[in-house]
Amino acid sequence: MNGVTTLTEDQRDALQELMNISMGQAANSLAHLIETKIGISIPKISSVTPPELFGMINRSDNAFYTRQSFLGDIQGEVMSVVSRDGLSEVANLLEYEAPLSQSDIEETILELSNILAGACLAGLSSQLELATNLNMPTLFSPKKASFVELNWQHSLVMEVQFDIELSSFSMRVVFCLDRVSLEKLTATIDELLG
Amino acid sequence: MFEQLVGKLPVGICVVNEQYEVVFLNDFFVDRMDANLRKDYQDKNVTDIFPAQAKFLRRRIKSVFVLQHPSFSYWEQRPHIFPFNSSRPITGEETQMFQNMEIVPLSSSTHGKLACIFLQDVTAQASYYIAQQELSKALKREHEEQLKLIKKLDSAQSQLIQAEKMASTGQLAAGIAHEINNPIGFVSANLDTLRQYGEHLISIGEKLASHSPDADTTTHKLIQQLLEAHHFDLLREDMPPLIAESCEGLTRVRDIVENLKRFALEESSGWQLLNLEDAINQMLELVAIQYKNPVYKAQIEPKGLKLFCEPGGIKQALMNIVINAAQSVTGEGFVKIIAKQDDTATYIKVLDNGSGIDARHIKKIFDPFFTTKPEGLGQGLGLSVAYTAIEKHNGRISVNSKLGKGTVFDISLPLQQPEDSDELVVTSA
Repeated sequence: MNGVTTLTEDQRDALQELMNISMGQAANSLAHLIETKIGISIPKISSVTPPELFGMINRSDNAFYTRQSFLGDIQGEVMSVVSRDGLSEVANLLEYEAPLSQSDIEETILELSNILAGACLAGLSSQLELATNLNMPTLFSPKKASFVELNWQHSLVMEVQFDIELSSFSMRVVFCLDRVSLEKLTATIDELLG
Repeated sequence: MFEQLVGKLPVGICVVNEQYEVVFLNDFFVDRMDANLRKDYQDKNVTDIFPAQAKFLRRRIKSVFVLQHPSFSYWEQRPHIFPFNSSRPITGEETQMFQNMEIVPLSSSTHGKLACIFLQDVTAQASYYIAQQELSKALKREHEEQLKLIKKLDSAQSQLIQAEKMASTGQLAAGIAHEINNPIGFVSANLDTLRQYGEHLISIGEKLASHSPDADTTTHKLIQQLLEAHHFDLLREDMPPLIAESCEGLTRVRDIVENLKRFALEESSGWQLLNLEDAINQMLELVAIQYKNPVYKAQIEPKGLKLFCEPGGIKQALMNIVINAAQSVTGEGFVKIIAKQDDTATYIKVLDNGSGIDARHIKKIFDPFFTTKPEGLGQGLGLSVAYTAIEKHNGRISVNSKLGKGTVFDISLPLQQPEDSDELVVTSA
């Protein structure tokens, strides 16, 4: 099982484009809700091993982490890395009042993750006409040891970064698909490509 | 059928339209509401019915309408959104319900866009989780206390080892001192006799030399040859100072042994009146034998300053500090002790201009087994023992040091009165 070899260049391009559109929609939704401009990076699509995934997520100590699973036609997990910098400004945009309590901070992180991950997933699902449901996000702290123990070798991940103008806030969303979902995804993309 | 099913679900369901007006409530909600609200909730604004978390609810419902995507709230961050109690109103344990909430977007042909609030009662999980957390906190606290205790035990044990060692060293020193005293006794007596014999011999030689010209030529020549062959002139000049130096050396050996005996052999334990001046001078002499670099000074006011204390502990503490000070002086330098007393306390200051203590070490110097000396050369117990001894006297010890400049130890010992004023005075006598 190797995520890279199952994606042809055409499939990858198509997926990249689909991601681009859904990320754009996600950014738009959030921008609409908090009335601020939001920048997005070009989505990165790659196949990773568990340690590589850990490296992708755990780039900075100065961050919060959430994870959220999704079920339906495609299944997997979304992990979000939320910067500590600028979080209070974003909380203000979400109408939390300073000073932020620990609960306010956690709620802000969870809500941001949910909004962005949900919007990305909804965008992707609707374009591919797949039904998905996102579960509740939870906070977690990634540990290298627990990643090494994972029982898969490769996984397709899609990563995108959101930046909020006006503050130093940034957030990365990493989508991981399981093997069955990856097959389903490529099959659907192939149908679209005709 | 579905309406019945939805009504009876063990999950709260509340559907609102885009104006936040309640379109539907299931039994879970209705059963828990005030009686007067139960009949009359339709088309009322949900935030009017549940004003406690109005702002939060409005924001989350808005987010669902705008993003058309579910929104979640978790009991850990926001435990009580709706003012419901958990079950058991009669048998007790009634608490505010811990709630997880999920709001999902819906739509219907009659109402247009809708938002559905699902409310889960997670009081049982939450109380369990909270109890676990408290338990874990208590465990952690206990664990920390145990660690502290273990540390205390460790330090007590190491001090016991040190005390044991000091006691056996003291006994050993006293034994050796006794053994050395005997030979020193007869060697110095013999040397004194030897000095007298030597003087006699020299005077014989001198007389022979001066009277030989009066003898016949053969005898005169013989005497001159003998005197020259045995370098009589040199012998006469060199012998008295040689013997004098040896006597001086012996006196020093005797003094050292005496000091060692007095200092090391603390036979009488317990609180006594200590002649601090004598103790300090004895100690400086002892330390000076081993560490010859520094000049040692003692400034004690008033003369014969006395201190009611446990002499063994205080002497040991001062000794350890002074040895460290002496070791830190590598070239020319000094070690100085200043002792004084007022109505409340005795103050002892030990100063040196040696190598000083690195700032990052200063917090640790009183820890048992902390040492900066190469392995095998120090056990890191000296200052820890000193600290404990001073603590035992309710005293305080503090240190000031600058790398390359020197170190000052400040000791203050609150004055304690002997219960019986006829206590023995421990002096060097």
